[in-house]
Amino acid sequence: MTGMSLHKKLEENTGLLIFGILVVSAIGGLVQILPVLNQESLETPTGSTEPYSAVALTGRDIYIREGCSVCHTQQVRPLIAEVERYGPYSRSGEFVYDRPFLWGSKRTGPDLHRLAGKYSDDWHRVHLLDPRSVIPESVMPAYPWLEDAPASEVGDIQKKMQVLQRLGHPYTQDQIEAAPQQLEGLTELDALVAYLQQLGSAVSREEAP
Amino acid sequence: MLPLRALIAPKKTCGQLAASEPAAMTIMFRYAIWLLLMPPVFSWLGAYFFGWRLGASEPLVLPAATLTLISIGYFIALLFGFISTALISRWMATTYGANRQLGRHFAFITVIGAPLAFASLGHLFPHVFLNVVILIPAMMWSMYLLYSGIATTFDTVPERGILMASALVGWLLVAAVSLLGLSMWLWVAGIGPSLGV
Amino acid sequence: MSAVLEQGVIDRSVAVPDTYYDKVVLRLVQFSIVWAIVAMGAGVYISAELLWPWLDFGQPWLSFGRLRPLHTNGVIFGFGVSALMATAFYSVQRTSHVSLFAPRLAWIVCYGWQLTVLLGGLSLLGGWTSSKEYAELEWPFDIAIALLWVSFGIVFFGTLARRRIRPIYISNWFYGGLIIVIAMLHIVNNLALPVTLDKSYSLYAGAQDAVVQWWYGHNAVGFLLTGGFLGMVYYFLPKQAGRPIWSYRLSIVAFWAFVYTYIWAGPHHLHYSAIPEWVQSLGMVMSIILLAPSWATLINGIMTVSGAWQKLRTDPALKFIVLALAFYGLATFEGPMMAIRSVNVVSHFTDWTIGHVHSGALGWNAMITYGTFYFLLPRMAGRALYSTSLANLHFWLALAGTMLYIMSMWAAGVSQGLLWLNLDETGELRFNFTDIMAGMAPYYGLRLLAGLIFLLGTCLMAWNLFMTIRGRDPVEVTAPDVDPLYEVKR
Repeated sequence: MTGMSLHKKLEENTGLLIFGILVVSAIGGLVQILPVLNQESLETPTGSTEPYSAVALTGRDIYIREGCSVCHTQQVRPLIAEVERYGPYSRSGEFVYDRPFLWGSKRTGPDLHRLAGKYSDDWHRVHLLDPRSVIPESVMPAYPWLEDAPASEVGDIQKKMQVLQRLGHPYTQDQIEAAPQQLEGLTELDALVAYLQQLGSAVSREEAP
Repeated sequence: MLPLRALIAPKKTCGQLAASEPAAMTIMFRYAIWLLLMPPVFSWLGAYFFGWRLGASEPLVLPAATLTLISIGYFIALLFGFISTALISRWMATTYGANRQLGRHFAFITVIGAPLAFASLGHLFPHVFLNVVILIPAMMWSMYLLYSGIATTFDTVPERGILMASALVGWLLVAAVSLLGLSMWLWVAGIGPSLGV
Repeated sequence: MSAVLEQGVIDRSVAVPDTYYDKVVLRLVQFSIVWAIVAMGAGVYISAELLWPWLDFGQPWLSFGRLRPLHTNGVIFGFGVSALMATAFYSVQRTSHVSLFAPRLAWIVCYGWQLTVLLGGLSLLGGWTSSKEYAELEWPFDIAIALLWVSFGIVFFGTLARRRIRPIYISNWFYGGLIIVIAMLHIVNNLALPVTLDKSYSLYAGAQDAVVQWWYGHNAVGFLLTGGFLGMVYYFLPKQAGRPIWSYRLSIVAFWAFVYTYIWAGPHHLHYSAIPEWVQSLGMVMSIILLAPSWATLINGIMTVSGAWQKLRTDPALKFIVLALAFYGLATFEGPMMAIRSVNVVSHFTDWTIGHVHSGALGWNAMITYGTFYFLLPRMAGRALYSTSLANLHFWLALAGTMLYIMSMWAAGVSQGLLWLNLDETGELRFNFTDIMAGMAPYYGLRLLAGLIFLLGTCLMAWNLFMTIRGRDPVEVTAPDVDPLYEVKR
């Protein structure tokens, strides 16, 4: 059977065409994606990487909600200039509790993966409420609505932690029970700052390039 | 002066081209080569005396040797672009029922390239935004010359001229982006500004 | 000869001729145009916000981070998919010589989709987002999309299954590929455990999530914005040009190579990231190979249209298609080039990527769609286009807008990439980030202008097409007889 006559069968039978497309397009995924999903080293935490605390998790969800990852990446590439500018390059083991990943694809603003400790909490507060008061050239939006909203109302924290627990994050029962208490009295701004202040802290600047 | 004449009276120039059978080498060495030399020379001078102004506060000054390398690369890329475009234009001529006389294709590409070559005067002050602002109108003028002159120059009907011109635009876009990609590649390989990669 | 003729007559007397079902096509075209204006308008607005950040007036829903997904989702799923559904329904009937299968389901798909895009868009403004690019919508919408997509498939493949002509025409392969592969990608990438109606956590974490996301993200571009729209080209280009596809064999080879290769290319979005090195390298190699099938299709298209030059005299639609092919050539070359690691290291994360996306989205997707609409609506209205000169003006506005957009982003992107990485003689960074960012304002200004020009053209088209169709139902078209040589024997 020549190639063309084989193809004649495909192009005259709807079912075969559907099947053909499915098989041919699936190969790449099976060979390239599936092994990655089964690679254990990508699921092994690096350094002091731990599941997010109730406050940081809430902050992270605010980060997601406001679309921060549209303009800020969280991946320092292993390049001299980047390590110099931001800090140690990103390791896969640092992201094992990131659902979803927030690496981003565009740097309208700077990378944030090694943000922990670069600025004070107060600086972050002022910057988030009015970016141009600290960086006059900034084009970042201001987030005044974070100041008054209570952190406890950003979804059901216990349910969130239970879902993550089911996905394999090692939260203890105590941690889940204590979660609402930890959020009490905090604003969304507090939670977001707490998240920013622990970004990339699992790998210390001194130890790793 | 063919390129200057083309800038001022494009229709007339294309008409004259259509009536002539210039030799490719004559066009190449009498006109094209000078136009092709303009951008690399201007960019060398501009970068040497003022430094690249890429929008950040201080200009980026490169050593003369690096600048020379970049300019040579620039010239080679332009030369390659010019010759390949002329050859592709001639190759496509069959499809669009156009004249295949090689010299005429060289001359026509010279004509449409002239506005860009003269706009490269902007390289003398290599502020990127300034150059973008100068080059965009020049490019529009070039495209106007291309679309309006192609049918006359190669004795074909206007409709087929539009198609041929569009095919050439496609190629030129690819050539332009290749130039960008090639520059990145050279920079990363260490020829050009020093990058921390 | 006479036997053949007789057979044709007999067949005709047996089968009741089908009337094509075009009302749903017209409605989808109208929705598509509405979404184009809304989503491009959002794009113009956020590009202005990058110049004047106070434009969000302190409102969460006007904030850049929430409007940007609305812009991308609106263009892809509102404008793009509506146009793809419309043209798929239109062309599958005509290439099968039967009317649409399950027209009621087609209506459900049409309105269900618009409702999903509308509510989904509002939910993005409300802060419901999974943050995965082009898959931002939360799980309730993901389920709605999956159901509607399957229904789209049922209408499409159902029509194909009862076709009266034996060979399945090439445009239908591309639409078929679009339906099948997007379904697969959408479902796998959006797998998540819900917490509440507006929140879920991805089944994948970290580096693995990144690989899955860009497998999806890149192929949403591949099979929707490239493959789907190639389906459009393969039907409307020969139709408009009035001549068959230049090489049938080339289109077969290009199709299968395209389906096979595209799927591998996603990891070039993750160069130098924390995913395994071999995945990055494989992604890069496959991206470069991808140039071959992409350009094979390009050559096929150009050669087809090149024989139809007489038509250009009267047909503004064909001009759009010719130009769309030129930008398709650019985008499909630029993509593989930017996937090369040593180019990508400079271009990644910069505005060059934004420019690349728009050379595809404006130059290719929008222009090919506009060309198709200029072809479709006069036929459906049964009268000539309201204004040919307005369409010609639109053509030049679209070209100018696209060129200005990509040139300003090239300049901005190369500057960013270079300045971010540049070191001085002592090996220290030469430029600080804020200075580099502040220097981008003039380019963002040019880009805003480019967007406005392009949007103005789109509005002109909307007006022109509205005046063409005004109040009319689609002209009824009856399926012609099938050449007995190719007829399906029942």
